[in-house]
Amino acid sequence: MSQCNCENNDKLSHHEVMAKMDTIIDRIGSSRRVIIPLLQAIQDEFNYLPADAIERIYERTEIERAQLISVSTFYSQFRHIPYGKHLIKVCAGTACHVKGANNVYDSFVRELKIKTDSVTTDDKLFSIEKVACLGCCTLAPVVQIDDKIYGHVAPGKVGELISEFIESNKAEEEKTGKANEYKLSGEVRLGMGSCCQASGSADIYNELLTKANELGIKVDIKSVGCVGVCNQVPLIDVVLEDGAVKRYPNVKASEIKEILHHHFKSGSLLRRFKNSIINHVDNYHTDTTWNNVVWKSEAERTGLINSFLSEQKHISTEGYGFLAPLDLDEYIHHQGFASLKKVIAENKPNQVVRDVLTSGLRGRGGGGFPTGEKMKIVASSTQKDKYLICNGDEGDPGAFMDRMILESYPYRVIEGMVIEAFATGANKGIFYIRAEYPLAVQRIKRALELCRERKLIGRNILGSNFSFEVTVFEGAGAFVCGEETALIASIEGDRGFPKQKPPFPAVEGLDGRPTLVNNVETLSQIPYIIRNGANHYAETGTENSKGTKVFALAGKIKNGGLIEVPMGISLNRIIDEIGGGVEGGEQLKAVQIGGPSGGCIPAHRCDVPVDFDSFRQMGAMMGSGGLVVLSESDCMVDVARYFLSFTCEESCGKCTFCRVGIRRMLDLLNRICSGSAKMEDIDKLEELALNVKKSSLCGLGKTAPNPVLTTLKYFRKEYEEHINGLCKTGKCKDMMQFIITDDCTGCTKCAKACPVDAIAYEPYKVHNIDQDACVKCGLCVDECEFNTIIKVPVKQEVYANND
Amino acid sequence: MQITINDKIIDVQGQDTLLKIARREGFEIPSLCWSKDARHKSSCMVCAVKDLSSGQIIPSCTSKPVEGMRIDTQSEEVMQVRTLSLELLLSDHRADCEAPCSLVCPSKLDIERMLNYYDKGQKEKAFGLIKHAFDLPKLACENCKAPCEKACRRGSIDTPVTIRKIIKELTKVVDATKVDEIENVAIDKTKFQSRLGRFCESEKARLKETVSTPSNCLHCACAGKSACQLRTHATTHKIKRPGYDMSSALQVMSRIKINDTMYFEPSKCIRCGLCVYNSDNGFTFKNRGFQMEVNLPEENKKNIRVELASLCPTGALYIVEN
Repeated sequence: MSQCNCENNDKLSHHEVMAKMDTIIDRIGSSRRVIIPLLQAIQDEFNYLPADAIERIYERTEIERAQLISVSTFYSQFRHIPYGKHLIKVCAGTACHVKGANNVYDSFVRELKIKTDSVTTDDKLFSIEKVACLGCCTLAPVVQIDDKIYGHVAPGKVGELISEFIESNKAEEEKTGKANEYKLSGEVRLGMGSCCQASGSADIYNELLTKANELGIKVDIKSVGCVGVCNQVPLIDVVLEDGAVKRYPNVKASEIKEILHHHFKSGSLLRRFKNSIINHVDNYHTDTTWNNVVWKSEAERTGLINSFLSEQKHISTEGYGFLAPLDLDEYIHHQGFASLKKVIAENKPNQVVRDVLTSGLRGRGGGGFPTGEKMKIVASSTQKDKYLICNGDEGDPGAFMDRMILESYPYRVIEGMVIEAFATGANKGIFYIRAEYPLAVQRIKRALELCRERKLIGRNILGSNFSFEVTVFEGAGAFVCGEETALIASIEGDRGFPKQKPPFPAVEGLDGRPTLVNNVETLSQIPYIIRNGANHYAETGTENSKGTKVFALAGKIKNGGLIEVPMGISLNRIIDEIGGGVEGGEQLKAVQIGGPSGGCIPAHRCDVPVDFDSFRQMGAMMGSGGLVVLSESDCMVDVARYFLSFTCEESCGKCTFCRVGIRRMLDLLNRICSGSAKMEDIDKLEELALNVKKSSLCGLGKTAPNPVLTTLKYFRKEYEEHINGLCKTGKCKDMMQFIITDDCTGCTKCAKACPVDAIAYEPYKVHNIDQDACVKCGLCVDECEFNTIIKVPVKQEVYANND
Repeated sequence: MQITINDKIIDVQGQDTLLKIARREGFEIPSLCWSKDARHKSSCMVCAVKDLSSGQIIPSCTSKPVEGMRIDTQSEEVMQVRTLSLELLLSDHRADCEAPCSLVCPSKLDIERMLNYYDKGQKEKAFGLIKHAFDLPKLACENCKAPCEKACRRGSIDTPVTIRKIIKELTKVVDATKVDEIENVAIDKTKFQSRLGRFCESEKARLKETVSTPSNCLHCACAGKSACQLRTHATTHKIKRPGYDMSSALQVMSRIKINDTMYFEPSKCIRCGLCVYNSDNGFTFKNRGFQMEVNLPEENKKNIRVELASLCPTGALYIVEN
């Protein structure tokens, strides 16, 4: 992924742009259906889609203007205007939302003085955008500037964060001259789960940066989302060129230099020599020895890993904590591809389908359709060409299971795919992965290459007659493409409009051929089923939901992270025993499950077992596996509004009920949240929600009202309070205000912190907030040491004045 | 194959859609986004029926029958879905069926049509249209309180069209005896009346800037109203006002000239896509979600055939008779 180089673009002559375009077109192709890869390549090159580059497409390819406009404006990845040099992405995922992402976004806009109708600063240095989810939910609120991820961003620290970024960026630019000469040696991944952060991973991050520079080592330092083991923190993974991972739990800042030096060689001999001397001297002085870092075993350093792992069961994430993502030998050593070998040796495709049916495996993408049934339909077709698509278009805000599986267990997904292909007679496979997951794309591509070398994919797999070709398609940013027919439309080079079912893709899918579309997690369960037997697999889980489910546990939870649990475990056990309870000792209010398609399950019903059907009965949905814990300080109406504003943006726009209906629901919710609604509006909202659910044509529209319907069902009182002008949690800004009590000492700290000067600077006097100027960002509250600034409902204030 | 529609058992052969079968059997089902022999994708849900076997609401225009299917086309539930889909479409349809001036005229004059002739310089025709209402030389407007001018949308932008002054001018410049009367069709008030609502500030500024006809008239009346199916269905479903707030992502009254006779008015469009699916590199969709619009790039105007206008179920794509 090339860094932004729009500055250079301005200097490119028309001739140069055309030359670049011709190279891209020659590489990608010129047929109608390559439009998405083509536009992605252009954006990679120019940082946006320049008009003259687009004209070249019309001249040289089959793609016409109507198709191009239709597609390029549908997918959110594509930009039609140049952005600033650095791109700030403010995560607006569920976990970030409940932790105040909007305030963070507003702070950036204020701090950078970005004008209302623009997203770019005047000096073209920064552009800002909200993104659906960065997949670092345990770090919420999260901001990504270019490649750097910042967790737990406080609105008040935004200024510091920007200057820190500029500083470190300057330092890097100075280094790039040198660094460019060296080959990229690998990467260091820093687990930045909430627990990592709490134990000082930010210091580790800075230390990694400075020491890497000092040593002249060019490694990618990536802050990654919580990898699950939040108890052994801070934790860094050193990923070497071959994909092997060396994990260092409980690292100290003082050990960083040793670790880097041990694994990576700096560019020049002289530098190497110098480094070893410096290190020697350093060690001598600090008395930190190498022994501290490496020679102790992980277990010794960490002690026993406690309950966080004890309730879990690893099927999709088998090999958890030690398997190097791209080490094929290691995977094979741990029974990898044993299932595929077994299947091919036995050569009974129908038996495989029967096994999957017996196992009771249901699609993990959300709908929960029995996987074996789908396979049976595809297998029964006599057509020559059949497709198998791995659906990795994980777009739910608050979910990052698929990303983690693709990044960490690429071979397992590939193996599952080849087994299914063998069982169904599919000859072409496609990995459909969101472009927002560059690491996953890169890993899968590399894993496929390595598999091809060993004849695990491609022609005559493992010496048999069976051939299966696999390619990778990068999704371009549309939640609706998680819907299988929309996904197929996008591969065909169209906007992601879902098609009416039937016909189901299993009968008539990509290019009209039978197409099996399975979610990443579903595929990753297949090898286990084959290896251990369908009956063994079916022992785990409930009557109608077998096996395990991976969840992204986030929100107001003590130990968030990625977890894999057996079906049938209760939500309470997940929260209390795995997650360690609600953060900050607050009361549990509800659990939001299944993202925008799911619903909110109230605390008193959290004894419900994890199960497709029991969730559905409650009006929620398994969804793809986001699990956001909400505490008493979260406003349920605001949560419902949040999800609806997401689906409103992500609706494809084809059908009336989804395009207009969801918008009208959102209008009503906005009114309710601003305190200007009437009691009838609640009924109106409910009626509309029921109709949108009933009359929408695809999964997105049919499930979009769920967050509203479940909150109406379990928290109707809260809606009624809003109508009466009261949001008890103070999340609905229009209904609350900040006031300063008489205990104020007049220290002026709040006045200095206020970004809009709503507090007059009057030392030693009780301060006062100018309500008209106040933007309710809450910075003053954080700043006040005497807790004299409180949130009160606007209405209550009115009553108080009247007294 | 046998299916049941509203308790009537029907033998079905071939690959006809439920809509076609039901209509053939005499059951009335409205439709908007479907047009005979045209390419389409179901989207409007005005043709909704209920599949009693699965309990699902489905669009009859694309759904095919399956053995033993039981379909309901007329229950209250189905009617409610259709009405709601129309209401939702109308809440995003910021346009007037009739001009406010014509609607309020006590003498039932089609003022907007008169101003239309006037603006085209056809003053005789303009006069001919209103001639019947005046016992010339006495002017009927003389003692009228001119609700037309109060209702005039131009008034919210700058100043209302000076309707009475224009009529007076017509009586002066046109020789009444030489002008043939043109039939003035009074507005049928039993029909559904879509109303545009208020202009927002940016719309006011744009219209003030861009609309400069001799009379200053904005020509609120819909040029495609006679063939508008949206209006027809809204009338039969007894809709008075859409039950939801009006708002749209589209600019009102932006009229795009496609060629000598064809115009496209995006704010009247219901995004059914018939013009998109049935033109070759012509109309296209732009954006997604509520922001999705039908767009016609300048370069593609040459690819638009006149016949396309007849596919549009609303007055968004229309032909102007000269």
